[in-house]
Formats: sequence, structure tokens, C-alpha cells
Amino acid sequence: MARPVNPHAMTPSRPGRTRTAPPQAPNGWYAQPRMLRYLLFDATGIVYLLVGFVALRVVWALGSGPAAWAELMRQLRNPLYVAFHLLALVCVVFVAVRFFRLFPKAQPGHIGPAKPPPGPVILAGLYAAWIGVTLVVTAILAGWVLR
Amino acid sequence: MSEQKKTFVVTRFDPDQDAAPRQQSYEVPVQPDWKVLDALNYIKDEIDPTLSHRWSCRMAVCGSCGMMVNGKPSLTCKDACADYGDRVEVAPLANFPIVRDLVVELEAFLEKLRSVKPYILVAKERAVEEGTYRQSPEQLEEFKQFSLCINCMLCYAACPVVANEPEFLGPAAIALGHRYNMDSRDEGQHERNEIFRGEGTVFSCSYANECSEVCPKHVDPAAAINQAKFNAVIDWLSGFVTSRGGK
Amino acid sequence: MDTIRHDLVIVGGGGAGLRAAIAIAEQDPNASIALVSKVYPMRSHTVSAEGGAAAVARSDDTLEMHAFDTVKGSDFLGDQDVIQYFVGEAPKELTLLEHWGCPWSRNDDGTVATRAFGGMSTKRTWYAADKVGFHMLHTLFQQSLRYPNIVRYDEQFVTKLIVDGGAVHGVAALDVREGVVRMILGRAVILTTGGGGKIFPFTTNGNIKTADGMALAYREGVALKDMEFVQYHPTGLPGTGILITEAARGEGGHLKNSEGERFLTTRDYGVGTKAELGPRDMISRAIIQEVEAGRGIKGPYGEYVNLDLTHLGADVILKRLPMVRELSMLYGGADPIVQPIPVRPVVHYMMGGVDVDIDGATSLPGLYAAGEVACVSLNGANRLGSNSLTECLVFGARTGLAALRHAKGVGAANEAACARQAEEEAARIDGLRGKRGSERISQLRREMHATMEEGCGVYREQASMDATVHATAALRGRYDDLGLQDKSKVFNTELVAALELGNMIAVAETIAVSAAHRNESRGAHARRDVKKRDDQNFLYHTLAFAGYSGPRLAKKPVTLGIWQPEERKY
Repeated sequence: MARPVNPHAMTPSRPGRTRTAPPQAPNGWYAQPRMLRYLLFDATGIVYLLVGFVALRVVWALGSGPAAWAELMRQLRNPLYVAFHLLALVCVVFVAVRFFRLFPKAQPGHIGPAKPPPGPVILAGLYAAWIGVTLVVTAILAGWVLR
Repeated sequence: MSEQKKTFVVTRFDPDQDAAPRQQSYEVPVQPDWKVLDALNYIKDEIDPTLSHRWSCRMAVCGSCGMMVNGKPSLTCKDACADYGDRVEVAPLANFPIVRDLVVELEAFLEKLRSVKPYILVAKERAVEEGTYRQSPEQLEEFKQFSLCINCMLCYAACPVVANEPEFLGPAAIALGHRYNMDSRDEGQHERNEIFRGEGTVFSCSYANECSEVCPKHVDPAAAINQAKFNAVIDWLSGFVTSRGGK
Repeated sequence: MDTIRHDLVIVGGGGAGLRAAIAIAEQDPNASIALVSKVYPMRSHTVSAEGGAAAVARSDDTLEMHAFDTVKGSDFLGDQDVIQYFVGEAPKELTLLEHWGCPWSRNDDGTVATRAFGGMSTKRTWYAADKVGFHMLHTLFQQSLRYPNIVRYDEQFVTKLIVDGGAVHGVAALDVREGVVRMILGRAVILTTGGGGKIFPFTTNGNIKTADGMALAYREGVALKDMEFVQYHPTGLPGTGILITEAARGEGGHLKNSEGERFLTTRDYGVGTKAELGPRDMISRAIIQEVEAGRGIKGPYGEYVNLDLTHLGADVILKRLPMVRELSMLYGGADPIVQPIPVRPVVHYMMGGVDVDIDGATSLPGLYAAGEVACVSLNGANRLGSNSLTECLVFGARTGLAALRHAKGVGAANEAACARQAEEEAARIDGLRGKRGSERISQLRREMHATMEEGCGVYREQASMDATVHATAALRGRYDDLGLQDKSKVFNTELVAALELGNMIAVAETIAVSAAHRNESRGAHARRDVKKRDDQNFLYHTLAFAGYSGPRLAKKPVTLGIWQPEERKY
């Protein structure tokens, strides 16, 4: 039938003069496809946190000399690490697509005298920037430039 | 006209009789053009006069008849019975304390609404003799959508943050505050942006977008909240750059 | 007896009530105002108004033109001093509303746009897409939130006025949520409870329009004026009665019969070149005559005619009539861009109401009324579209200030005497809750609807009006044998429905009796048996007082001014 939510949800500062039943959400509310996608969107934060830890390890190794660096690179070739990074890539794409979709309508009508460009332009700009930056970083890391 | 029998499973709750909400089933001969509200009124008029629910305009503009139908927030005067199968569950709006049957406690919303100062704030009141403000159709478009809120509170029933954070201002209140911020006649943006950064903070919103999905009037409160976040940040930053003089 | 004390009590939180509250709060920030409403204010039926609010705005318009249009529209029964005051204040009120944030639709140069409306000689109806009532109500409600001295009492159903020493000192109100009766004392009481369309089966009105304020005043000996004049709006959806605004015709919509004929132009229905923009009473009669002549279109809810907007183009409809499109798709099964909308006359507004003077004062000291509940009389025998929203503002403000002046001059009430009345009322209501009886609310309501539709429809005749007089009197008797099932105290809506039914039956009787005694056709009161207007004998306002065996009638003269009654042709 229903499951409880925060018992103080939508409760007025001065409670009404009759007894009320606590606020509820319907069963299966959080299991709906749209809601699951949103929860997943928020949950990917954990993945980025872990990616951040890996990045810290890389930086640490960078400052600890060539031996440490080689050791770290060997560890990172472990299939589990590769799988984790692939998962992280999927999460980033998922989040980026959703975020980009929602971003244009989050632009206020004007900021001072400036008006934002139309939605499709913003969308195109976001994808262009994302793909562009990805290409540049890939080029640097793969050694095609700056080496 | 051919009618069809549907079973309505309705939440009942009388605080003087019931420890907790329970459900009661009714067989209703539904006409093809009925909305869910028509079925509820039939139950009240012909089967069980003890059922309490709120309704008034029956044309989706007064906002009284918001309820959960088959687990989704619904404006019952707008949703057709034909869209549902043989079994229709009607429950009071989610995330609100339940007063009686399908009636929920609304005071918290009115408190949140009042707190965003939903009126034109100007430094100097304009005299009637000066006539109306000039406002171009483009300026009107910037906030018009957000002014369409009928206060039905389906967005509050849909919002996962409302369910978990009691202080959150909520979609409709923020949308209405933002409506005034974007109104070219208003000068109270700084005051409202402070409120938006305050206890009921707009930043609690994580853009689930459920509010906009359920809004029967296409107000798009999610857009309003996220635009409001933008404005609130710009307002905060500009506080370091400009001096805001005496208020 | 739980007692609440304020300086003023306003019953009803719609356009007029909120405007009165704001007027008082602006005038005197120390006056404490109780805004008592049986629903939350944003649910008030003002919200459903669609078309617009009239006030002189363009350079080709004058106050005199607006006044004359209103006088003529009222079939010369409107009080001309009231009308002159009204047209002068109208632009100020709508401007004030704009300052408070109302999103009026605009011309390209940023000035407020106006549209044509029925019976108006030029474009003077300010509009907000086609949701003017919604925007007005929400603007007023949100504006009212800035005054700490306006205290709201939401979902409190006022069941009785408290009268002591020949003056009103407050109200007894049922707290719908808690089920207890409280006494709210005030030095003046303003009724702004709206009309009573739910007395009729087919109406644009919402569930809450049950003539409560009219009944409250009527029971205390105040007269109800011009009750026979019930406005049938020509274009409501069949079945639900949902309003399709006059603005649809204002933007160029055509009414067509089953033969596709634009009958208002091809046949003589008195509207002349105005065609679809003639006054509402004439158009409603035209539609009924078309149906009776066999040129109506048959549908599951009776016969109707078509409102054709297809020639306006998607652009105009989506920009200026979006809600009309939504409503006709949702409730009428037609997309106006490609199909005509099925429409028929439905009850929309009551020109009649509590007898008040230009200050909104009734014959009972301390009792005031404004808006649709009152009969000032601005609208006479027929109201022009878009005048009533402005009326709420103009007379809401004036009445509020008049009540404030009265409240300042009046002494405190004899609380013990008032409490006794409130306690009697509480006992009466407790007795009503879950009481035994053989009559059902839905059955009495159905019969009231049937007899009012029969006797007080668009066209009336003596025999059926007399039958309705007897039927409503009988309903009054049968109401005492009402049986209720819900014994609970908390949010008992069956009890509220029973109280509303009692109010409706009382007021229905005044409508029937007033109609049966007006032997002429004037404005919305159109008779088949007496087709002409009779200024010799019937140029007066009908007053209906509560009597022992039914309403007792009296006459009140019409305040004429610079315009003498003439033939009403367009």
C-alpha cells in the first residue's frame, strides 16, 4: 500500500488540531524506471569518488620516482581496474547525457542584460566542448602531442 | 452510453476511529467520459457518504483534487477513468500528513509559500496615476510559465527531496518565488535569493525532474528551481563585487 | 465557546474578499482582519474565470461609453449611480492589480492589451491569455500574504451570523477539520461568498458555489434583490457545464447550428451586427430557439450547437485561447484548431444577491456584502461579460473601506449574548451530524436541480414557475427529514454538503418566487407568455424577504440617471 517517508515531511510549524496519519509514499515509488534512473544518476557519485582516489594514487606515484610509477602502471593493468574504469566511463556518459539534456532549461531568461542562447545551441555547445576536451586529453595522454 | 464496472480501492482514515489508514473497496459503474473525480463523487453520493475528499472547479484550475491514483500523483478531475484498468487505487497525496480519508494537511505548503515573499517588491510603490508598468511580451514570457501554478501540490508528492528533507522549500514555492524574481516589475531578487540560499535551500534539489513530470499545468518547476540556483549563485557572487547600499 | 476576536470579519476568500481585506489592511495596518473561508482562498471560484476584466483603457473609449454599455446591457435595471462610480474606478483597480504583479497580456509596445467582449462597444476587456480569474485570484492571494494583520481562517464554514441588539457582531463558523463551532467576533462582517450556480444542474460553477452568504443574510431578515435574474452563459460544455469563455467569440469564433449556419447573422435574434458579441441573455435565447426549431445537434447530454474556432488558426488559439483548447480537448472531446466545440447555455452568474447600497451596506447594521453575493445593483437584469471581475475589485475595495469606517465607530459586542447564539448554533450542527432521516442529500439535490431547470430556465412561463415555487417550498420541508450517515467530527464533508444544500434550497425558493411575480421579459428573465419589457409596471428591483411560509416580496426603485429606458437592440 504505502511506505513511510520522513515523519516530518510537509508538517507545519504548528501542528493542526486533529491527529494526522504520518506522510507516506506509494509502494514501488522508488522502483519506477524514471525514479531508478534518477537514483542511479545520483549514485554514480560513489564511482567518481573512487576514481578520485585512483587519481590521487597516480599523483602520489608521480612524485615517488620511476619505480613507484612502473609498479602503479603494472597494477592498473589488472582486469578488475580496467573493468572499473570502463564502468566509470559508462557512468560519465550516462550522467553527461542526462545533465546535458536538462541543462538548457536551467538557464534563467536573462542575467542582467545578457540572454542565454537558445536550447539547441547550448546543447550543441556542451557536446562539442565535451567531445573536444576528450579528444585533446586523449591526444596528450596517447602521446600524439606534447611529446 | 456504455458503462463499465471498476473497483476503486480508496484509502480511508478517521483519526477518531482508525489507528492507521486502511483501504475500502467500492464497485463503481464508470461512464466512458468520467474522470476519477466523477467516480469518487459517485461513491460519495450513491454508495458511501462518509468518504471525504476535496474538490471544487472540476476543470483543472483550482488545484483542490490532487491525490495518488495507482501510485502516481494525479489531478483527479483531469485524469480519465478510461486510462486505468479494472482496479483503481486512490490514496491521499504522498509526503503530506493525512487528515482524513483523501484529505491532507496543507499548512506547511502555505508557510513555505509565504516565506518566499510571493509578491512584487519595489523600493518605491508606483502610484496608480502613473499607470501600468511597461512590460513587453518577451518580458512576460520569461516568467509567465511559472505563474501558472495552481498550487495542486502534485510536485510535492513526487519530489524525493520533499519526502526526506522537511525544510526544503519545495517545487511550487520555489517556482513561485522565481516567478517574481523574473518579473521585470519586481526589485526583490536579492531578498528572495537570500531566502533561496537559506534554510529551505534550493540547492537541496538534485534535479530528479519528477516535479515537472507530474505537473498538470506544465509549469516545469524543475526548470524554475535550477534557474533559481543559477540566480542565487550570481546574486551571492555579485555581493562581493557591488555594494548593496542601505536597504 | 471558543471565541476569536478581530476588528473585521470577511466571509469568503475570493476576488472580492481578498480585495476588501487588502483595502482595509492598506488603509489601516492596525486593523485586525479575519478572512474566513470554507476553502483555501486559491480554491475560490474566482479562479475559473477565463475571459477578462473590463475597464476603459484605449483612447477611443470613454467612461460614458462603458457606463452606457453596462446600463443597456442590464436592460435598464442597473442603478446608474453605481454604474457611473464603477466605470470611473475600474481602470484604477486593474492598474493597481497590475502593480501587484498580475500578468496582463501585452501589446508589442508594452501597454496592456484589450480584447472585444459581448455587449461592449469597443475593446476594453483586459485579459491574461484566457486565465484572467486564475491570475487575478493568485495575484490577490499572494499580495494578501504580505499583510500580517490579515489572518486567514481556512476551511471554516460560516453557518450563522451573530446578531445582537439589531446589529451584526460576528459569525459562528464550523471548523471543517476539527468539527467544532467557533465564534469569530468582529465589529463588521463582509460577505464575499459568491453566487449559487449549484442550485442548477448545468452550471459553469464549481462545487463550492452554494449561495451560502445569500442564505446567511436572508435568514437574518436582509432582503435578497433581483433573484430572478440568473445569467445563462451561452457557451458551456454539455454535460459538465464547464465554461468556454466569451473571449473565444471575442477573438472571432462563430456559433453554428446543425446545418452549419451561422444563425446569429442569418436570423434575427436582436443582436444586430454584433452577432456572436451580443449580450449573453440574447445569445442564450437564440441557441435555445435554434434547438427548439430542430436545428440543434443531438448529443449524449442533450442538444447543443457548435462554436467554431477553426478559421482563427492555430497561432491565435494557442496564444490567446490556450485554456479553451485544453478544456475542449479534455472535457468536450474536440480540438478547436480542427473541430467545432459543442456548447449550450449553462447557468453562470447570479445578477441578484444580498440587497446592498453603493457602499455595500445591507439593511442590517454591521453587515456588508460585495461581489457576486451582493446586488449593488451594477448588473441589473443582465451582466455584460468581463464586468464582474472588475466589480469584485471596485466594490470589494469600497465595501471594505466602508466596513472599516463602521467598525471604528461601533462599540464592543455583548459577548455573553453572542456566545449563547453561537452555542445554540453549535448544538444545531451537532444534532445535524449523522442524524436519522428518510431523505438523502443527493436525492433532494437532484429534485432541486430538476425543478429549477424546468421552471427557471432560459425561457420561463407562469405554470412551470408556479410549480417550481411549490416544489422548492416542499423541498424546504423535506430537508428537515434529511438523514446523514457520517457521524465523524473530523473533516465531515457530508455535514458540509447538508449545510450547503439547506442554503441552496432557501435561495432557490427566492429565485422561483421572484421569477413567478415578474410579469415581463427583461434581461435574463425571459418569458414565453409575456414577451415584452414593461417599464410602466416593472421598472423596479424585486426584494425577497424571508417569511414564515416562504419569501415575501417587496419593490425597490431603480436609480435612473442620464439614460432613460429605451428599446434594447444591438
